[in-house]
This record gives sequence, structure tokens and C-alpha cells, in this order.
Amino acid sequence: MKVYQCAHCEYASVSSKYRCPSCGTGSLQEQEVSSKGSVYSYTDIHIAPAEFAHLAPYTVVLVQLDEAKVKVTVRMNSEVSIGDAVDLDHVENGAYVYTK
Amino acid sequence: MTNVYIQGIGMTKFGKFVDQSMKSLLLEASIQALEDAGNPKVDAVFVGNFMGGSISNQEILGAIVANELGLGYVPTAKVEGACASGGIALRQGIMGILSGEYDTVLVAGVEKMKHASTADVTQAINAAMDTDSNEKQAGLTFPGFFGVLANRYFYETEATKEHLAMIAMKNRENALNNPLAQFRKPTTMEEIMEARIITSPLGLFDCSPTTDGAAALIISRKKGGVHIRASAQSSGPTQMQDAADLLSLPAVRESGRLAYEKAGVSPDDIDVVEIHDCFSMTEMLAIEELGFFNKREGWLAIEQGQTKVTGGKPVNTSGGLLSRGHPIGATGIAQIYHLVQQLRGTAPNQVEGARLALAQNLGGTGSYSTVHILERL
Ligand SMILES: [Zn+2]
Repeated sequence: MKVYQCAHCEYASVSSKYRCPSCGTGSLQEQEVSSKGSVYSYTDIHIAPAEFAHLAPYTVVLVQLDEAKVKVTVRMNSEVSIGDAVDLDHVENGAYVYTK
Repeated sequence: MTNVYIQGIGMTKFGKFVDQSMKSLLLEASIQALEDAGNPKVDAVFVGNFMGGSISNQEILGAIVANELGLGYVPTAKVEGACASGGIALRQGIMGILSGEYDTVLVAGVEKMKHASTADVTQAINAAMDTDSNEKQAGLTFPGFFGVLANRYFYETEATKEHLAMIAMKNRENALNNPLAQFRKPTTMEEIMEARIITSPLGLFDCSPTTDGAAALIISRKKGGVHIRASAQSSGPTQMQDAADLLSLPAVRESGRLAYEKAGVSPDDIDVVEIHDCFSMTEMLAIEELGFFNKREGWLAIEQGQTKVTGGKPVNTSGGLLSRGHPIGATGIAQIYHLVQQLRGTAPNQVEGARLALAQNLGGTGSYSTVHILERL
């Protein structure tokens, strides 16, 4: 998985930024890290917007990556608890779909 | 100190009004505010509105107000800041007066939502997220963001779903006395706890409803009425996955800090508060971020009843977004409407002797926040 790490401070994000939002200087450098992580928090979505209604109910999980100080919002189709180990299953329409 | 004063207030009843257009609601609130202020000459109009374009195919709301009310060729604008559209519109009006350009400004907010389906409204509200992101593609919704926050809050504190229910219950009890509120039917903790889940752990009563309604204010440099002691605004992260601390809303914290600094007061000095409780969980975090209670201890204050009308820090005595209703663009103005009533001594759930009031209006999942501190003269 690609993450973006600031060259001047500890800030890192799953999405690139023009400038580091933390220190305001430097440039974010692309790094490749493992997609493995753990469940930081989650919600089971029962009422979905029109474009995702066919998937509902589905679970959206905020994953803390193991190898970077980065969190990623992903979709899962299984019950989860905070702390569960999870990993990337596949990428679908720009979404990371994870599995336990 | 802005030395800008609120001279008039107006508000429609909030609810479902199939026979009324967005325009008619907007004009009704504006006319009330004008009459309350003694029909002064108005130099500019700002209208807070979020989904008039996407749901009703109606923009140019500022010019419509000026035309229909015979205000002349004055400058007008629609202001969009998601659910903070109203608060930002008010701030733009204040800035216009502070710049010296205007003496008196009409600020209004309106939304018409009840005619659209829940799926379409949820879709339109999703415009308040960063839609060009893997997060949006994962299917995160606006309510879902606060569901994720709630589960983490439960994990890090001793709070449970019952504490969220206490917030919903308090705001419903307050709404029972507010003739303009959308929900005036009593409920029970059991009904709230057992209601269908929208996005776990949040159930139906934890989520603000869709609402039709409008509110309006006349603000002026002419002294009198209620003084706007401070106006502050901040921005925050637009994606959940970029939050440095998931249980913080930096825009709320920063706009609060700026407002206290400008007003020269502290959280302890505030007598009555209207907070942006788009979800019960949002009120929990906001009472912490605004410095009324310690971080991760908001649930304790709720449990002790400190935010009830009878408590030390009454929050959402109008019923809040959860029970007064949440016509998105009107909400920030409706908060001020209620607080002006509190400072005039004429509010439902009147807080005795209230002198300083604070309104906090949130947009997006923490993207925008405005804080206004009002003072009885
Ligand atoms: Zn940096």
C-alpha cells in the first residue's frame, strides 16, 4: 500500500498533500508499506446513500497500519472488534476492501 | 468585541411542510426578523443554504429575498458551508459591517428537505465529504463518521450507548417546550435504546432528522438588542483517516479558542449553549472541545445531568438539531434565534438571568466550525 511520509516531520497520510499539514514545509514522499493493520474503530452502515444502497448493510473500518503511522478507511463484510488483525483483500472502484 | 448587534429575529416552525416552498419559508422568517427590528433599511443580504441546488434546483436565494421584500438593488449572496452554512452566513454579515461597507444586514438560513427520499438526501449530504477519496469510495457516510467516533469513544472511556441516549433524551425533553421544534412527542430511554440502527452504535434517535424550515436575523452597527461579543471560524480535516486524534474535532476546538480570546471570556463564564448536535455523539465531543468539560469526560457530565436546563451548563435548551430539527442551512441561524430569546428572557426552557450565550455550528465531518458568543446588554 502507498503512503505519503513528510521529509521533515512525523506526519504521514494515505493520501498525498501539496504541503505537509503538520509542519507546513517539506514534501511528502511516497513509500510502499504492508497493507496489514488492526481495527482502530468501525461502524456497520445500515442506511446508505443511493450509490452504495445495494451493499448495505456493510462495515466501514478505520484501519491502523502496522508499518506506518497511517490510518486508512476501508470496507469489510465481516463483523469486527477494535484490535482485530486485518489485511487488504482487493481494491474495488478506488475503495480498499479488507478481510480478517 | 464586534460592536455588532442583533436587532431582530425570525423563525418558521421546523418540520415537514409539503405545501410550502423553500422561498415561502425563507421569506416568512425574513419578514418576521424585519418586523422584529422595526423594518430598518437593509444594506446587504446573506443566505445560508446547502442543498437548494441539488435537491430543489434553486439557487440565487439572496436576490430572491431582496426582490420579494423590496430591499432595492442591494448586494446579496448565498453562503454554502455544509451544515455550517448559517453560521458562516452570519459571520459574513458581521464581517461586512466590520469592514465599514454596511450598517445593517439581513442574514437568513433555509433548507427544504422533506420532499426528497432518504437515499437522495443522504447522497446530497455526502457532498459535505471529500468525495475524491478512497474513504468516500469505501462507502463511509456522514452519519457513519460519527458511528466510528462513538465506537472508539466507548473503547477509550466508560461511556456506553446509554450515554448517547441520555443526550437524545435531554434534547427531546427540551423540545417539548419549544413551540417551533419538529419533535414535540415525549419519548422514553427504552424507545431510544431500542430504535433501529442507522450506523452502529447510532440509532434513529441519535441522528438529526431531515427538516424543512428557515430562520433570519437583522444585525446592525446600531447599538441595542443583543451584542455579538465574538465571531470566530475555523476549518479542520476533511477526511476521517487524516484525523491526528479521532476523538477530537480540531475545527470546533480552534473556533472555540478564538471566540473566547476575542470575547475575553472563558468557558466557565458561558450561561447557556447551543451546540451542533447533528448526532448525539457530536454533542458529546463538542462539550469537551469547547472546554466545558475535560477531554474523554463529557459522558460523565451527561450522566450527572450537568447539561440539562437545571444543570450548571445548559446545552441545547431549544431541543438541538436532534429534536428542534435540522434544516441544514437554517440551523446556525436558528441557534442564534433561540439564544437571543434566552438573553431577552423569553425563551422556552429559560435559563434564569442568562447574560452570556455561545452558539457552535459545525459543517461536514469537522470541516467547518463557527462559534458566536452573544451578550445581553
Ligand atoms: Zn511535516
